[in-house]
Amino acid sequence: MAIAIGWSAGGGGFGVAWAPTWDLRLAFELDGLAALYGVLAAGIGTLVFLYASAYVPRHLAHQERSRREEARLHGAMVLFLVSMLGLVMAQDLIALFVFWDLTAVASWLLVGYDRHNRDARLSALMALLVTAVSAVLMLVGILMLRAEYGTVQLPELFAVAQESTTVTVAVALIAIAALAKSAQVPFHFWLPRAMAAPTPVSAYLHSAAMVAAGVFLLSRIHPLIQLDARLLDGLIVIGLTSMAVGGLLALGSRGLKRILAYSTISQYGYVVTMLGIGGAAGAAGACFYVLGHALAKSALFMTAGAVTEATGAKALGEVGGLARRMPLLAAGSGAAAAGIAALPLTIGFFKDELFFKAALDRGNVLGALAVLGAALTFAYMARFWTGIFLGAPKGELRPVERRLIWPVALLGALVVVGGLVVGPFADLARDAAVVTQRGAVELEAAYHLDARAENLMAIGAYALGFALFASGRLLGAPLSVFSRLGHDLGPERAYNASIRGLNRLSNRLHDIEVRDLRGRLIAVVVPGAGLVALGVAVTPTDGAYRTGALPAADVPLVVALAVCALAALAVPFCRRHLLIALALSGVGFALATTYSLMGAPDVALVAVLIETIFALLFVGVFALLPRDVLRREARLRAPRSRKLRDAAIATASGVVTSLVVWSAFSRPVPREGMSDRLSALAPEAHGKDIVTVILADFRGLDTLVEITVVAVAMIAVSLLLRGKLRG
Amino acid sequence: MTSSLTRMVARALLAPILVVALAILVKGYANVGDGFAAGVVAALGVLLQVVVFGREAVAAALPLRWAPAVALVGLGIGFAVFAVPALLGDAPLEHAPAPGVSPVHIGSLELITAVVFDVGVFLLVLGASVAIIDAIAAPGEGEQ
Amino acid sequence: MNPLFAIVIGVLFGCGVFLLLKPDLFRVIAGLVLVSNAANLTLMASGLTRSGQAPIAPVEGNEPVADPLVQAMTLTALVIGFAVTSVLLALCYGVYRARRSVDLDELSREEAAEAAALEADEPPLDEESEYDQQDEFDEEIVR
Repeated sequence: MAIAIGWSAGGGGFGVAWAPTWDLRLAFELDGLAALYGVLAAGIGTLVFLYASAYVPRHLAHQERSRREEARLHGAMVLFLVSMLGLVMAQDLIALFVFWDLTAVASWLLVGYDRHNRDARLSALMALLVTAVSAVLMLVGILMLRAEYGTVQLPELFAVAQESTTVTVAVALIAIAALAKSAQVPFHFWLPRAMAAPTPVSAYLHSAAMVAAGVFLLSRIHPLIQLDARLLDGLIVIGLTSMAVGGLLALGSRGLKRILAYSTISQYGYVVTMLGIGGAAGAAGACFYVLGHALAKSALFMTAGAVTEATGAKALGEVGGLARRMPLLAAGSGAAAAGIAALPLTIGFFKDELFFKAALDRGNVLGALAVLGAALTFAYMARFWTGIFLGAPKGELRPVERRLIWPVALLGALVVVGGLVVGPFADLARDAAVVTQRGAVELEAAYHLDARAENLMAIGAYALGFALFASGRLLGAPLSVFSRLGHDLGPERAYNASIRGLNRLSNRLHDIEVRDLRGRLIAVVVPGAGLVALGVAVTPTDGAYRTGALPAADVPLVVALAVCALAALAVPFCRRHLLIALALSGVGFALATTYSLMGAPDVALVAVLIETIFALLFVGVFALLPRDVLRREARLRAPRSRKLRDAAIATASGVVTSLVVWSAFSRPVPREGMSDRLSALAPEAHGKDIVTVILADFRGLDTLVEITVVAVAMIAVSLLLRGKLRG
Repeated sequence: MTSSLTRMVARALLAPILVVALAILVKGYANVGDGFAAGVVAALGVLLQVVVFGREAVAAALPLRWAPAVALVGLGIGFAVFAVPALLGDAPLEHAPAPGVSPVHIGSLELITAVVFDVGVFLLVLGASVAIIDAIAAPGEGEQ
Repeated sequence: MNPLFAIVIGVLFGCGVFLLLKPDLFRVIAGLVLVSNAANLTLMASGLTRSGQAPIAPVEGNEPVADPLVQAMTLTALVIGFAVTSVLLALCYGVYRARRSVDLDELSREEAAEAAALEADEPPLDEESEYDQQDEFDEEIVR
């Protein structure tokens, strides 16, 4: 409601700098297009929430789950709603991308809501993968546009974009993401699977949120699509194909939600076709179509949910004759079904009217195809509604909450109101189309009782649709062959194959790289070593490897270093763990001596203290373990080949390290550096020990982080040693 | 277990060790040492007692189980020194007194906020070292 | 001086790598300690061009002063090394408590066996879902 009020007050926008260094701004604007989709998302969202408050407890009770899980669904729905609103108002392609992915994440949470059910999990994964992987293409497209024009702000892009190959490719990539989201062929297979979600989620996903986001994006970037006629033609082809495939599959299915899911594919095919036709008629038709479809489709999904709750039936044939027993539901969903089938006196009539008009503008062939599509729609909608509500009564009827019924009735009423008083609806769609079209748009929706082409086409569609509906039994066999073919050869197979392939690849990588710690180390160290070697290879050796002087006064330093090296060399030869700890201490203390001889008393002091603590730590942990565990490790003898290999790797890495360090040390250091400046500043900070002053003052933030690390380590150690561990 | 001589020496050493730690801490700005070194020295003093007398005896005399709390207080002091100037409108970690202003002296000891920061480091390191070694010395404790 | 330091650093690093490749977890930790020692020494030695008296005021005469910034960084590195090593040692003990072993070879064998058992439970991805069986491909379209 707030959105409608805000929009009628003239819209508005605001922008916040988000990451100014990258020239990213969070710009939002409530324009006509945002208002249309925002009203749908918020309005239908509200009804869906009401419906869900009755549906979800029953759903959970069926599965013997706790009532507390209800909150998880509502939380994800709110996330869905918010990200939709952000998406429709974003004026910045990057922000748009972020919200786009947020809707994908929310849909993953919602489709996989029955997480104990493997099918639901796989379906959720499929929805996420299809939409999120294609979103990566969208990001690539966005970045291409940014590279070309240096901006991701949509208004600026619209102003400067010219027709060019780069723009065409970029826009095509974005359009692919949009088509995948709108479940158009060949990405349509995720949508029927996504009905594994609880019914309120499906109602929302199909009408106002997820799937609508795809055509929303196409409308949003339509000024860019218009730059290249090939893109528009591609949209028409994809739209018509989806219309046909969705319609045929809907006609051939039995599952209530499945029919509706295929119907969604087909209906958004209409919208994509109209966006492909473009121009004022296409833009207006597309926007109006989304509006009309959303109202009716959410009502139909809620109907399916209510019917399943009342009778337990999930497919046509398990139910019948509900019209007399649930009259309000029958009336509401009848209106909605009539809306989808585009019967007069519903808002749907105008959506088809506009569609026919737009199609005729592009020629008679397209007009004929449009009639065929509409006929299919009429046929499966008739089959759906009559299958549930007419015929002989079947099955038990359980009482259901009224909240499962009256949202359907309300939406059905809206569909009828839209058919009688079309003005406000048309205004909303027109203002959206103005944004899409970036120019004035005439949207004329009224009844004309004459023999104009649109009316004739509508009548033709009804007649053909009724014929299809009546010859249902004849069509059964070819339709099932069609869906079997689609299942065996369709894109879903490719999806499954690629998922399986990726799984196998990741398993293999896991076996090679992650299975044990050594493999993991090698996976990090070897590429690192390769990069270092590359660096050494391409660095000019001129001036590297200088020996420098060795004054007599430095002899103690040499001795300390020698002790350090000897102690280090001793470590690998120690069998017993205590000896290892001792040898490590030897290394540490020798290093401390070295530091003290290098004019670093602070470091030497700390090094001595740390070595002492280390010794305590090692001995303490050794004391915790039973002696035989350590003894077994000490007695372990590696095979000779492995020993040689390890020694070779160690020697090679040691030698390379020496070389790299040596060449690095040989670089002359600038005389006047950071250190001198800090030293000069130390008296200002009231300190004499420059090292301490640096730690506590100049680089105090480092120290703060450092002590945080120590605190975290303390907590971790306490938890590891005293917390409850399994085993 | 341990000879009476070791016990005597260890007992006699505790106070001097703590005094040395304190000296390292407060003189850190003027001479070798800082909060970290002081903390480890003090922790080693406490741990020496643990090694010599056993954990139970020391736990009765010294509040070993408060070590983590001491550490967190130290961390808190560190963050307070970091955050308070920021709240007062200066840059974070801005130390007082400002350059050029002569600090208050107690003998040769200068009172500056950097020392407060070091006290935080000291407490954290003392508490963390004692807590870590104590956890290793008696891993079963605190499971109830 | 330079090659001398370089050699010692190389020795520390090489010994560390050798230990990292061992199956015994404690030797792995010892290897990490050696490698971090090598890193610390590198840090310190990178201030070698100006080694001299300790950087504590008042500086005596015109003698060179050791680089204080390097020292401060080494100090930070030492402290972090202390924290990391203590966590690693505790982790080692945690591994022992959970698995009764500190041998990487044994642990990875067990892990592989468990992973295989898990995968045996999960049916393969391409199995037909219940939806496909439930209501698709119906020969008869019901009116």
